Amino acid sequence: MKKSTRLTVWAIGLIVFALFPKFFGIYYSNIIVTFAVWALFAVSLNMMLGFTGLLSFGHAMYFGTGAYGTALALTHMDGLPLIPAVLSGGVASMVLAICIAPLVVRVSGTAFAMLHLAFAQFMFVLALKLRDITGGEDGLGGFDIPPLQIKGLFSVDMADPLCFFYFAIAVIVIALCCLWFVTKTPFGQIMVGTRDNAKRIDYLGFRVSHTKAIVYIISAAAAGVAGSVSVLHQNLVSANDAYGMMISVFPIMMAMVGGARSFFGPIYGAAFFAMLEEFTTRYTDHFELILGVVLVVFIMYWPLGFAGMIMKLKYKWLTWKQSRKSQGSAS
Amino acid sequence: MNILETRNLSHDFDGLRVLVDVNLVVEQGEKHAIIGPNGAGKTTLFNVITGTYKPSSGKVIFKEKNIAGCGPYKIQRQGMGRSFQITTTFDDLSAFQNIRLAVLSKRGIRFNLFRFVDKMDDITQETVEILQRVDLWDDCHTPAGLLSYGKHRCLEISMALATNPDLVMLDEPAAGMSADETHTAVELIRKLTKGKTMVIIEHDMDVVFSLADRITVLHHGTILATGSPQEIKENKEVQAAYLGQLEE
Repeated sequence: MKKSTRLTVWAIGLIVFALFPKFFGIYYSNIIVTFAVWALFAVSLNMMLGFTGLLSFGHAMYFGTGAYGTALALTHMDGLPLIPAVLSGGVASMVLAICIAPLVVRVSGTAFAMLHLAFAQFMFVLALKLRDITGGEDGLGGFDIPPLQIKGLFSVDMADPLCFFYFAIAVIVIALCCLWFVTKTPFGQIMVGTRDNAKRIDYLGFRVSHTKAIVYIISAAAAGVAGSVSVLHQNLVSANDAYGMMISVFPIMMAMVGGARSFFGPIYGAAFFAMLEEFTTRYTDHFELILGVVLVVFIMYWPLGFAGMIMKLKYKWLTWKQSRKSQGSAS
Repeated sequence: MNILETRNLSHDFDGLRVLVDVNLVVEQGEKHAIIGPNGAGKTTLFNVITGTYKPSSGKVIFKEKNIAGCGPYKIQRQGMGRSFQITTTFDDLSAFQNIRLAVLSKRGIRFNLFRFVDKMDDITQETVEILQRVDLWDDCHTPAGLLSYGKHRCLEISMALATNPDLVMLDEPAAGMSADETHTAVELIRKLTKGKTMVIIEHDMDVVFSLADRITVLHHGTILATGSPQEIKENKEVQAAYLGQLEE
């Protein structure tokens, strides 16, 4: 794609987001925030799954830690500004990742996936049992959302859903840009190399375990930010919404449906899920059932997801254009 | 000066002795071939030297330092590159990206998270130069896994050499190649390893005799003989153990 067209697409996207609440109202804007949180969470998981080849069944661990981190910070620290509140979620997840990374980077494949399942369940039980800190089944809620302000300059009330909509989108877009940038750096190349052939990466002089650890920590921090935005949005966090099994499974499904090999794939996946949930819950309570069928169909017929489909269509269009061009010059 | 030396190197897999007191000496600048019948322990010797396995006993002296038991990445950073008998490339990445990873390794760029890799012009230029030299330029955007077998092998060898190692270890570079492809590969290896030290495992005797200055014959995990190609050809023991089998 040309640089100018790409910029146009981004500009249109930005305008759509800016005008969205005006045309569709606050109900749909809230759905967009939820979608954006999932998109960031799924992309953070895909940094490991699609780009480094590490499948985790317990990424909710970092989403939940981010959510609880922000919730606890806001409950216990009076007058904590908004930006540090969001960052505290990311940092909490990052610290947890730094603690666990030395252990998990030594394993891969099934062991890596199952170990995370165990850790996530452990966090889930902790969140349930440490009632004094986490509120147990009731969770933490009702804390005040601080306004976005620079003292004496301006102050934006985040309790206003419209303002929060813009804030959440901004935070998530910035986080996504950071992750996207990581995939484009030399380190991003080493990540993809590790996915393709860890043995060769080792023999090329890159240390596989360190590479994995860094991806892991970045991914955890991003998931933490997603959790943090989510808790600010809901003003509530409970064990099931933070560390629940489905919270780990959804981003994997989003990445699969959207296309794990592409950076933007999980975002398409998250969008698809958001729409599917919105439409199906009007008619039935069995959202998961429909989801399961969709997943099976995708894995059977489009294993590369939406991103793979788009690539295929683009390729077809290009070859068609080329064949027309050569026909034109021949005649 | 000896760039690589193994001292009483032994290795066993759960009691099965694959290498027994191997004393291999590779001098700076020479092209050294290791030959031997199937199961002689050639690839195991490579794996022990390049860090895949920790040897059961003995030392591996590379540039006057014992590297026995170091991981592959550490040994690579000391200046030893290797290729594999079974092609080991990044199959979903383009040939360009494959070579670029080797170039990044050569420059010691490991954890750079702050620049667009596509905008690092010096890296791109060096990668392009290598691709042109090894005749892969036309296929630079093809994923490595979709290259023809000959070109895929060529990429494998080129990656080992693109890091500009002081000692390059090639494990059967011509494995499974047609006569034509083998010829091209030999020319490529000759061109790329000019002035470098090389250790090569090869079954194809034409390749061995056209590339090697010195040959070591491995048999049942021990060194049977070491010498110039002429000496090895005339060695009675070697003929009995190895070349003799071929003539039967």
